[in-house]
Amino acid sequence: MSPVTARRAIRVLRPDSPGEAVRLARQFRAPYTAGGTWLQPAHERDQCWPEKLVALNASWPAFRGLEEGPDGLVVGALTSLSEMARHLLAREYLPPLAVFLNQVAGPGVRALGTVGGNLIVGGDLSALAMALDVRVDVVGHAGERALPLSLWLRERAPDDLLRGFTIPDCRGWRMSLEKLGYRERFSPTRATLACVHDGVRVRLAVSGEGGLLRLAATEAFVHDQAASAPGDFGAVIDRELAAHGWQDPDLRMALRRMTEGLLSEVALGT
Amino acid sequence: MELKAQPAMAGTSVLQRIEGRFGYATDQQHLPGLLHGVILRSRHAHARLLRVDTTRARSMPGVRAVVTAADVPGLNRFGIVVRDQPVLCEDRVRYEGDAIAAVAADTLEQARAALALIDVDYEPLVVVDQAETAEQMAPLHGESNVVARDSLARGDSNAAFARCAVIVEHHYQTPRQMHAFMETEGGVAIPDNNGGVAFRVGCQSGHRDVEQLADILGLKPSQVTVEATPTGGAFGGKDELTIQPVAGILALQTGFPVLIHLDRFESCRVGIKRHPVSVVMTTGCDRQGRILAHRVDALLDTGAYASLGPAVLENFLDHATAPLYRIEAYSVSGRLVYTNNGVSGAFRGFGGNQATFAVESQLDALAGKLKMCPLQLRRINLRTVDEPGSRGQAVRWTAPPTEVLAEAAASPLWLPAAADACGRWLTGTGMAMGAQGNGLGDGLPDSGGGRMSLTAEGRIRLEFGFVDYGQNLVEAITCLVCEALGCAASDVDVVLGNSRGPDSGPTSASRSSVLVQGVLATILPRWQDRVRDQAAALTDLPRDELDSGPGGLFVNGQRVLSYQELAKKGQPEQTMVDASQEFPVAPEGNQPVGRYLQLQIATVARVAVDRLTGRVRVTELHHITAAGRVIYPPGYLGQIEGAAIMGLGMALTEDMPTREGRYLADNLDQYMIPTMHDVPDQRVDILDNTPETDPFPVRGVGELGIEAVVPAICSAIEAATGIRLRHLPVDAGSLLSALCAQEEQRL
Repeated sequence: MSPVTARRAIRVLRPDSPGEAVRLARQFRAPYTAGGTWLQPAHERDQCWPEKLVALNASWPAFRGLEEGPDGLVVGALTSLSEMARHLLAREYLPPLAVFLNQVAGPGVRALGTVGGNLIVGGDLSALAMALDVRVDVVGHAGERALPLSLWLRERAPDDLLRGFTIPDCRGWRMSLEKLGYRERFSPTRATLACVHDGVRVRLAVSGEGGLLRLAATEAFVHDQAASAPGDFGAVIDRELAAHGWQDPDLRMALRRMTEGLLSEVALGT
Repeated sequence: MELKAQPAMAGTSVLQRIEGRFGYATDQQHLPGLLHGVILRSRHAHARLLRVDTTRARSMPGVRAVVTAADVPGLNRFGIVVRDQPVLCEDRVRYEGDAIAAVAADTLEQARAALALIDVDYEPLVVVDQAETAEQMAPLHGESNVVARDSLARGDSNAAFARCAVIVEHHYQTPRQMHAFMETEGGVAIPDNNGGVAFRVGCQSGHRDVEQLADILGLKPSQVTVEATPTGGAFGGKDELTIQPVAGILALQTGFPVLIHLDRFESCRVGIKRHPVSVVMTTGCDRQGRILAHRVDALLDTGAYASLGPAVLENFLDHATAPLYRIEAYSVSGRLVYTNNGVSGAFRGFGGNQATFAVESQLDALAGKLKMCPLQLRRINLRTVDEPGSRGQAVRWTAPPTEVLAEAAASPLWLPAAADACGRWLTGTGMAMGAQGNGLGDGLPDSGGGRMSLTAEGRIRLEFGFVDYGQNLVEAITCLVCEALGCAASDVDVVLGNSRGPDSGPTSASRSSVLVQGVLATILPRWQDRVRDQAAALTDLPRDELDSGPGGLFVNGQRVLSYQELAKKGQPEQTMVDASQEFPVAPEGNQPVGRYLQLQIATVARVAVDRLTGRVRVTELHHITAAGRVIYPPGYLGQIEGAAIMGLGMALTEDMPTREGRYLADNLDQYMIPTMHDVPDQRVDILDNTPETDPFPVRGVGELGIEAVVPAICSAIEAATGIRLRHLPVDAGSLLSALCAQEEQRL
């Protein structure tokens, strides 16, 4: 467990470079902080704060903003959610995102909260990122590396620092996103579902109460067996969700039906 | 008639509130010598206190005082109805918010650091967390966990049930709702130089608080002053004392002002909630739909302390008799029990809306069994204005209930909704009615006064003991005064909430507007007479030709004397007029006498239910209100619409569940109040047949909007899906399960 202290005694470390940030995080076992929108309420709730925080700097190269690269759209981890929502490149690559992000938290949180932070805590963007097979760009104590998000989440070191991620060139892909919360806006996610059709295959991922999950078995069923045994779709997705921590049967039922809805939207190109 | 308000009607404080410039009690951070107080809360829902050691806390830097139960100078108990709640617990804690000790220090950080060093040893006790079995558990107070047991009866209900052609019986459950006011509980206690204390605090009755605080602080009432400052919302949640007793003790101990302001976590944990109600209702009618018999068995969980629970139970039972409808025989009973589940107390609606939810749902169930239109069933059973109330009492309506129903039946929301191309959303429209009586209720002392004067500066000053918590009372009083005197709003100052001023009684029970109108009817002509007398003496003009108007007094449309000149040359102190009146009750000979002034509402709701997930969106609400004359349209709309949104939250998202006596939500990211995106389009219509000569043309509408909205939403959900929900808040998962079961049956 990380060392904790009274709130007043928190020391905020301000490294000059990503490399120094990783070194400080490793040395003091201190968490990184950027927008602080997730850390602050979490620590307030527990009444326990880390002794030190490592503040990330959005002016470090490639840490903020969106630009096109040879492999797709490169997004800096410290880009705020509101910047992402209104950026023209985001609208070009990810058409449903702007409307979707309007459901995420409130304007104040979106102005501070970062896309990197959202991804790391399994927030609303993580299902889409997983479905898109984004590659993350990570600074670690052993150097820099780029790898698929799904792989990084499995092997992530505590001091790994997310610099950004690359979304493949998905212009022309069809995608649909839906969040199920407790109310219309500013709700903890019960489930966020992303459905992407890349022209060949459908990709499905979900985040929320049961954790981040690429619905691989369901995807396979959609491709390989749907035509022959359409009635089994519900059982397949239900089994896959239940096996990966989605315990609430009513929520699994909702996800099943949402998935059917999104699949038809993507198939119809609406 | 649809009620509309233009932005230009908004009072000056509205922008200040929206822009965060309005000064609340908890903003008073700059008083000389101000100390910060914090309170140590119990870690256990139920435990014996074995040791409370403040030694380490006392030695911390900046600490000026550390107090425990031993430091309470007077009575270590408070409570409006039953004084059963300790200011600081002596030997036992009964909920996880119970106060054990408190610290005052130079800074908030120092106070919190010291608080963390108070050592408490607990011996955990068995937690009473089920209201259903509380009566069989070891008592939390006195001899039994039953705080109150009450019943109302009319006729022979057993015989009436025997004659019923159709009987429906259902169980209803309502949530533990939180007030979620914008400004959490807080204020300042300021010691004077004579051993007394002045409070500037967010509360609902300065005068009543003086009595309790004097007892707690061991002072005479004359040594305690409460200025009930403009407050960021209360809704009943600040009716009981909150931080005042501890702040007062710390102020007396240190000799300095002490500010206590609960943060949102502490407010969620400590603040009172709406009583969760579990009720079984059985209702029967004949083949024509005439309701013959009605039986109610209710259980209310008041938590660790009674608070206003006994009065809430009484109001619940009154509403459970179905005041709008003619029922031959009823037997209505309820129990209020202690548990370790926090504390429940006053909340907008005061138990009545929980009962109305169940009653209106019963009517829909009967109509369903009879295959009759629910509106027709209501039409058959609604009382006329000439009939007595459901308890045989005299009542005074402002419009016939059948006319309110007719307006609801004509609502445009019954027209088919726009088609959903994807077939995803199921839409439906439903309605419900509700009635509410103004005033504190039957047999309770209920009176209030006010004062009017011309100040030395020439301002027309109105004083009432009521509290401004955003309900637009200042604007309503100003409107009434301007209407009567012809003066300008800028001539008028309204001063509210000082316990040294007139005692208007509590700002609750939708009573303020009624009393304001009544008191003004007395003091306005008397004040005007005095002003005319003085103006006539100063100007040598005929007294009867002098009319008050904008900025001063007029003769034949010409201003002859400004209010400032009058104050300077005359004797403004001689213009002061005081008046007080009893809250209107039924004329002598009637019994019971309370709830004489009745209001009605019909709410029509349109919802959309997501076939894929079971979530519910309320898309439109249409309210038809019969609540007397509208004084200040923005305030009226704000009350009806705001209360309806609180009801929407109760219906769909809000609950504070407990596990082993502990709340499972601790802040507004876990406790789901509606956001602006959850708020539907709303329309408010006014139906007012009150004659010009009616002595009580104005009624209070602070609670009316919450009365019918919950059953209306549930009725609309049933219209959309065929599924009736009786346990609140609506659980999307359960609704989805039921939808899926329906679909499977159809296949």
